Amino acid sequence: MIRFLFALTIVFLSVLPVQARPVPPLDGLEALRKAFADVSDFTAEIVQEKRLSLMKRTMTMNGTVRFRKPDLFFMEILSPYPSRLLLRDNVVEQITGTGDRNRIVLPPEQGLKRWFSKIAEPITVMPEGMKVLADKSGAVYTVTIMPQGKGQVRELVITFQEDGVIKRLVIAEQNGDRAVMTFRKVRKNIRLTEKDFRLE
Amino acid sequence: MINPKQKLSVLALCIVSLLIFSGCATTSGTVDYRPNAVVETLSSAVALSVQTSDRGMSGQGYMVFRKPDQVHLVVLSPFGTTIMEVFALGKQITLIFPSKATAYTGSIDELPDGGGLQGWRMMRWVMDADPSNERHGNGTVERMGKLGFIEKVTYADGLITSKSAPNGDQVFYEKYEVIGGVPVAVKVEMRNIRDDRVRLTLNEPEVNTALEDAVFIPQLEGFTILPLSDLKGL
Repeated sequence: MIRFLFALTIVFLSVLPVQARPVPPLDGLEALRKAFADVSDFTAEIVQEKRLSLMKRTMTMNGTVRFRKPDLFFMEILSPYPSRLLLRDNVVEQITGTGDRNRIVLPPEQGLKRWFSKIAEPITVMPEGMKVLADKSGAVYTVTIMPQGKGQVRELVITFQEDGVIKRLVIAEQNGDRAVMTFRKVRKNIRLTEKDFRLE
Repeated sequence: MINPKQKLSVLALCIVSLLIFSGCATTSGTVDYRPNAVVETLSSAVALSVQTSDRGMSGQGYMVFRKPDQVHLVVLSPFGTTIMEVFALGKQITLIFPSKATAYTGSIDELPDGGGLQGWRMMRWVMDADPSNERHGNGTVERMGKLGFIEKVTYADGLITSKSAPNGDQVFYEKYEVIGGVPVAVKVEMRNIRDDRVRLTLNEPEVNTALEDAVFIPQLEGFTILPLSDLKGL
């Protein structure tokens, strides 16, 4: 009986959620950088939810994403909002389910290359203009970045494993809206090629 | 100033409103809607597509409408953030661009002629699109519209399938769903004489549900508020 209770206790302990513990902000940012330092590419299935605060309704979209360093990001959203999007550094191209095309050129400072060059080196001082919170639960970090000022984004929350598997991305806006992207079936370092990033 | 994508979003917005005010649609078969059933409120996810001679734009969004003339549209980026919000109440319109913390507000009549913004004026024309008094009326009629010009209106089973104006503007209602007995257009395409096209598709529309007043009131705290005349260059 004692053995049984002991075993039961072990089982319960193993399934109980691990208490998240706070991590110093700088350590959280550096953990984020280190986690993705060895990720050259990844694919994942995604669920994107947009919660509109005023309208009390959530839009849910499903799809896939692919990413390859330093500057390629592909996202395909399935029905009922079908579209494919390719971000190549700072150029966004999109094709909708009806075949319509969009092309948007972002400012160079918003390009993927520039962003990755910024995080190539260890983060030793807190970047200016943002407040950061971080915690760790087992091997899972959650880093919350809160840009200061009047910008559109109030809060960016990234949940990731220390081995570079991203779990969730939340973008909270000043108007109370939230966009949540949950990643599933993440596969990394699978040698994605240029043909994996074609819109056609 | 707003960028080209935002301009096109505004054009798309025009069509959103066209649809919701119309309460009409076309169908390949007979539609069993409740006589005299009309849209009082409507809320729906929307897919927008704008194709003009020099550019194209499409996107997703969400919109709400309350009769007679209140509209709130949210246009979303592919990553789910808000590109633009538009609030319309009668002739008053407010365009909000969260990324720039800027809002433009004024009368619809003050909107520049370019960039598709004039489509908002078209909205009132399309609003005048009630189903035929004859439940199963078919065919095309010419009539004096409420805006004071002769328009051609085509009906199928009592519902408007298209309208055309003397200046070449056309609106097509290609499909609908009956929600709670109310016919609601779910696909609308507007074309002008230059063959610019705006398509709108509703997804999971809800009809005649209660909507709070706050939904239609822009929250402008922290925004720079500019007059519509500052939308120069459209």
